[in-house]
Amino acid sequence: MSTLKNLWQKKRWIFWLLIIALLCVPPLLKILGIYKVKALYLRYACNIMMYATLAGSLNIINGYSGQTCLGQAGFFAIGAYTCAILSTRFGVSFWVLLPLCGLASGLIGLLVSLPTLRLQGIYLSIVTLGASEIIRIIAQTASITGGAMGIKGIPYPWLFGLDAFRPEYYYFIFLVLGILFLFCTSRILNSRVGRAWISIREDQVAAKSLGVRTSFYKSLNFVYGAFWAGVIGCAYAPFVNFIESSQFTTDKGFDVLAMIVIGGQGTLVGPIIGSAIVTVLTESLRFLGVWRYVIYALIIIAMMWLRPQGIAGATNSILAGGKVKRKPQKRKGAAA
Amino acid sequence: MKKILSIVIALALCLTAFAALADTIKLGGLAPLTGSYAEYGKGFQIGWDMALEDIGAEGVNGHTFEIEVKDSQGDAVVSSTLATDYAEDDDIYAILGDFTSGACKADAEIVDRYGITLLSPTASAPDYAGMSPFCFSIMGRQDGEAPFLAKYVLKKYLGVTKVAVVRVDSDWGQACFDNFKVQADVEGLEVTEEKYSASENDFSSIITKVKAANPDVLVVMDQGEPVAKIFNAADAAGWDIQHVALGPGTSEQVVGMLTNPDNIIVTSPFFFDPNDAELTAWKERFVERAGFEPTVHPACAYDTMMLIKTAVEKIGDGKVTREAIKDALTGMEMTGVTGRILFGPEGDITRDYMICGTENGKWVVLKGFDFVNE
Amino acid sequence: MEYVLNQLINGICQGAIYALMAIGYSTIVGVVGMVTFTYGEIMMIGAYGAFYIFLSCGNNILLGLLMSFGCSFVLCIAVYKLCYERFFNAPRHISLLCTIGFSMLIKNLAQIVFGPETKSMLNIIPNRIFTLHLGSVAVDFRLLQIVIMLLVVFLALMLTFFFNRTRAGIALRAVSQNKDAAYLVGINVRRTALLGNCIGCGFGGIAGCLLAIYYINFQSYTFGSFSMKAFSASVLGGLVDLRMSALGGLCLGIIENLGITVSSATFRDVFAFGFLILMLIIRPQGFAVKKGTRV
Repeated sequence: MSTLKNLWQKKRWIFWLLIIALLCVPPLLKILGIYKVKALYLRYACNIMMYATLAGSLNIINGYSGQTCLGQAGFFAIGAYTCAILSTRFGVSFWVLLPLCGLASGLIGLLVSLPTLRLQGIYLSIVTLGASEIIRIIAQTASITGGAMGIKGIPYPWLFGLDAFRPEYYYFIFLVLGILFLFCTSRILNSRVGRAWISIREDQVAAKSLGVRTSFYKSLNFVYGAFWAGVIGCAYAPFVNFIESSQFTTDKGFDVLAMIVIGGQGTLVGPIIGSAIVTVLTESLRFLGVWRYVIYALIIIAMMWLRPQGIAGATNSILAGGKVKRKPQKRKGAAA
Repeated sequence: MKKILSIVIALALCLTAFAALADTIKLGGLAPLTGSYAEYGKGFQIGWDMALEDIGAEGVNGHTFEIEVKDSQGDAVVSSTLATDYAEDDDIYAILGDFTSGACKADAEIVDRYGITLLSPTASAPDYAGMSPFCFSIMGRQDGEAPFLAKYVLKKYLGVTKVAVVRVDSDWGQACFDNFKVQADVEGLEVTEEKYSASENDFSSIITKVKAANPDVLVVMDQGEPVAKIFNAADAAGWDIQHVALGPGTSEQVVGMLTNPDNIIVTSPFFFDPNDAELTAWKERFVERAGFEPTVHPACAYDTMMLIKTAVEKIGDGKVTREAIKDALTGMEMTGVTGRILFGPEGDITRDYMICGTENGKWVVLKGFDFVNE
Repeated sequence: MEYVLNQLINGICQGAIYALMAIGYSTIVGVVGMVTFTYGEIMMIGAYGAFYIFLSCGNNILLGLLMSFGCSFVLCIAVYKLCYERFFNAPRHISLLCTIGFSMLIKNLAQIVFGPETKSMLNIIPNRIFTLHLGSVAVDFRLLQIVIMLLVVFLALMLTFFFNRTRAGIALRAVSQNKDAAYLVGINVRRTALLGNCIGCGFGGIAGCLLAIYYINFQSYTFGSFSMKAFSASVLGGLVDLRMSALGGLCLGIIENLGITVSSATFRDVFAFGFLILMLIIRPQGFAVKKGTRV
């Protein structure tokens, strides 16, 4: 047992490789023709991977700098629409578009973050919510976004000659993006920037008095979160092949919020767990028919009662609520 | 005890053997059973169930029918995931649904790749059916109805020149208006346009705005309750003007929501003729199950099931496959609850329209125009 | 001129309903200290309550309003117990998600219980139009609009009276200002917060009923967008200040309608949220005079 623990602490990358290898198994089974995994399940897996990264990008804002952003759907939409417009009109390659969409979304994130610098708490939330709605309505009316018609026939990405229409191949795009996101984010979180974000989350006044440029870091936080939402939006557009403004309502933003709160904010695994739980729950409750969302809602409320900080939430933080806060646990090293 | 058990097992075996003998054509249904479109999803489900009942247990040519309905929430991602599931299931012969054009467009690529028919009762976007030979819709092309409205209803029947159009800002509304505008220009109508988003509730300011332009007639292009809301807002503002609607058809629901139900003219492919015993019975059966009056949507859903049945009849002794159903549907003609259905080259239909109005809150076909069949 | 004035009246009437929603919303936020996303469903229950009263007892508007107040009041006890009471000391996002969950629960339950179809409240108040001549300009007032505006003003005055002149009201204000201090002077904070929450919700229910009467048709998903408007109006007013929230609601209504006058109705929410964001850039605390507690 102790050797295993030792190994975990010293050679963590082995475990990561193992997990990645495990994640590759289901689509590989199908590709290699060993077992016919249903496309339905592979699409669910794609959805989980996609929402995990999207929720992760929201977690950067909500979980690491403690600003409650409700408008992640807007950033997601910017990425998806940028990808759809550039790829259908100008035939730009998907792989070029990925960073481009991220940058476009990051730019909007910067714009949104500017007015929010003077705001806190719920004032900030309503601005992000409003911005998300404004983005959606503009997409609904502008001619470049196809207006109410939406954009159809978004080309599938080039994937070494493989047919990216099939979910077993598209899965890898989401997987690579997810790993890239986790890698970049974990590096950033362990840097000066990440620590600045966490210090702002825990106590903004204290952070400021210690010389953290809170405005700058909060803006940066928004831009970084929006960047990844844009990247994943870019991957989403070809996946569904058709986008229209009604896919980016505030309800979508709330769904993603539910994922990070259920999974746990302020840790990197939280959003992944949340995304998996929400997707699996909503799909496995299908047999309930119209009662599905009633039960799902009850489960959400029950989860908040039983584990307010989420399944894998940061317990050593201000985010862990209720009883946990009253009995602070021993710090187990930095978050993440 | 053992004896009874063996008899039961034998019976069960017989039954399964029998079931295997009878060839069941299983269909996949996509409908928004939850969410803001739940009303239509329920209508779909009831429409399909009623059609199954009418086809009866003996089926057609030894084929019986069965439908499995899944909740797509009207969401493109969910709908395409479910469509993939149906498409991969070799037992499913065709997919009926979905409600929203957006969901249907997201499914188009999938059904095209897998080669399975997607027959939507209500997808109204003009560019949907052309996306794949496997995509069909029976909502009716707007290049038929909208010019019909401009040419016959407004110009010839009402004889007006100034028209105010209030329309929903959706793919359907846009297609309607574009087609309408072309014909209106030909007819020399003066058109002012106002748009609203699909979630709009307050129409008083739109009415005030439109009223300031002082038109002869108020035309609304939308499909459900907003039509009633707009006309009610016009009534509430004390605006005495002729109401014309494109989209709701002869919806009993819409009439039930109007403050002044006797001032509305619609173009409609069909209406529940009280003299037609069959249609009246259909309507009553629907109300009994749903608890509310039918719109055109469940009737369309009913017809999609009937279309599949007719397609299977057409295939006759041939082998029923996904491909065969598609081939049978292409260019097929049938008369359903919603009137004559004839698939055009793209897989959608151009309907024949009537001009309907109301008398004492009941729909009637308006007399005094014979020029439609010119 | 006439046209703009008529639009202004439309705006004021819509603003009046927004104001009522915002008053209810601010009351809740004030006493509970947390924002709610269940407000739309609370309004919905109010509307359904009134609908069934009108269906069974005829168009008795007073009875309908009482019923909608009562229904929302009772529902709010559940909201309070499930979403707030346990999470007073927890981070805000937990109760936020709870209210989102509760909203989903009620919306879907209502669809099952009341049916998914659209309900309509026809001719609850007879449609009469009064024309006011100001020189050469004629302005139309609808009876319904007048009734709604008067009703909103009356309810707002009642609430002001309650907050300033009654024991329970003063206790509520104390809780709203400082929970610990209120506790120290012997106020039962939990019960008072529950009462305040329920009164706020009751006002939401009445607003829902008025919305349903004003727009005639509604179904369970109709009220979601109004909930956002109540939230926005309340933020405009500084979240806890009732009078300023009412002003915020009025402003939103007028700005939306004037916005529609100059452009298209598709942009309604762009105007509302655009105004909100602009306002918050200029005055981060909203209309509130003092820098209020940031909730």
